[in-house]
Amino acid sequence: MFKKILVPVSGTEADVETVKLACRLAKKDKGKVWAVSVVTIKRALPLDAEIDSEIKKAEEILDKAEAVAGEEDYEIETDVLQAREVGPAIVDEVVERGVSLILMGIAYKQRFGQFSLGNVVPYVLKNSPCPVILYQQ
Amino acid sequence: MYIIIVGGGRLGYYLMKALLKEGHEVLVLEKDARICKTITDELGSVCFRGDGCEAATLAEVGTGRADMMVAVTGDDEDNLVACQVAKHKHNVPRTIARIRNPRNAVLFKKLGVDVTVNTTDLIIEVIEHEVPTHPVTQLLTLDEKGLIIVDVRISPESSSVGKTVKDLSLPKESKLALIIPNEGNAHVPVAHTVLQAGDQIIAITPSENKEELEAALGGM
Amino acid sequence: MNILIMGCGRVGARLASLLDEDGHKVTILDNDTYSFRRLQPSFGGTALFGNGTDEDSLKKAGIEDADVFVALTQGDNRNVMACQIAKHVFKVERVVSRIYDPLREEMYNALGLETISPTKIFAQLLREQIEGKE
Repeated sequence: MFKKILVPVSGTEADVETVKLACRLAKKDKGKVWAVSVVTIKRALPLDAEIDSEIKKAEEILDKAEAVAGEEDYEIETDVLQAREVGPAIVDEVVERGVSLILMGIAYKQRFGQFSLGNVVPYVLKNSPCPVILYQQ
Repeated sequence: MYIIIVGGGRLGYYLMKALLKEGHEVLVLEKDARICKTITDELGSVCFRGDGCEAATLAEVGTGRADMMVAVTGDDEDNLVACQVAKHKHNVPRTIARIRNPRNAVLFKKLGVDVTVNTTDLIIEVIEHEVPTHPVTQLLTLDEKGLIIVDVRISPESSSVGKTVKDLSLPKESKLALIIPNEGNAHVPVAHTVLQAGDQIIAITPSENKEELEAALGGM
Repeated sequence: MNILIMGCGRVGARLASLLDEDGHKVTILDNDTYSFRRLQPSFGGTALFGNGTDEDSLKKAGIEDADVFVALTQGDNRNVMACQIAKHVFKVERVVSRIYDPLREEMYNALGLETISPTKIFAQLLREQIEGKE
């Protein structure tokens, strides 16, 4: 049913579960799974600036995702994206690759003492052209 | 180029779209959260919520590497301050401000704004062009030289019909550059060129001599 | 001295009365006549309706003869613009502007305006009061 699944990963514990789940969903139809990590670039720098420390961090997060997929005995592709904001970067990637499902993990978060979904999830839910599964740790 | 636009109103919005299309890196600064959301939903990460007059906001969006700042909010004073902060605090090489009060053009230049765009004057120019009783239309201002390029229509009642160029008492420094007749090709006028009813003349003149030129061409 | 004040808020109205009492010739400008209710009944200066960022209004308020111009509206930017008009167009000898935003205040101060940031001063005062009473 879902031939192309995109899993945005950010280094939280939820990554393990979402990558696992994506592999299991894709296995049936031999679908593709992409794990992507977004490096955000501050406006003070041009968009194509290369911040080695951030890129390294993103690659480590993706290595972990690949290891989890390995445990599930499934091969996935990984990508580092560079953007100003995470939400639009994910949606652009989805459109470009013709993704059929986004599988996102989030951790329960509080901001100013209140439950908060952050900026990324609402943006993706509002603007995604394909179904989205949200997994809260 | 990295261009920062202050104000996400209609002018800012369409300006941004045009500049994005030309391939520039563009960022709109807008105070209103709702407008920011609308822009971001439609065009992605090209809008930042914040006050474009605040030095801290401008620092955060990397104004220091901006090539140009265009302030197009509805308030002249906000546009002035945004440009001044960009110029003096962040060394932006080129600042452009929209103004509503035409008299602010001189003041803003004096205060360091590189270019002012006056929406009131623009509309007046269009009206002048559209209303046939007004024979002289200002086409372009050459600021540094104090010259303007105007378009003059010679009506059949005009006193200059049938006169040669050398017989016209043109004001000092005014030159006729081109005559576009009703029929036939445009030509560069010489001393013995005779003016005809229906001619359209492109002329260049010091801005203070505009009315004298109009009188010399029998416009009034 | 001839003193022109723009903005008849609490601070503007109070300052106008104080300077009036000291014997100065005070004119106060506001773009809402309702603001003039804040002036004390004893105020002997002139209260005038007008926009302080408009050269004609400023002329009508007598800026050409003013020795001091004070900008006290709620808008930092309006204050800054009015003061620059007073200084650079009308060559008023002293111009003083209230600027709430401390960063903008520092910048315009560096550009040669006399500026006061109530934000900075008030926070400092409160800190001294709180720490001093410990």
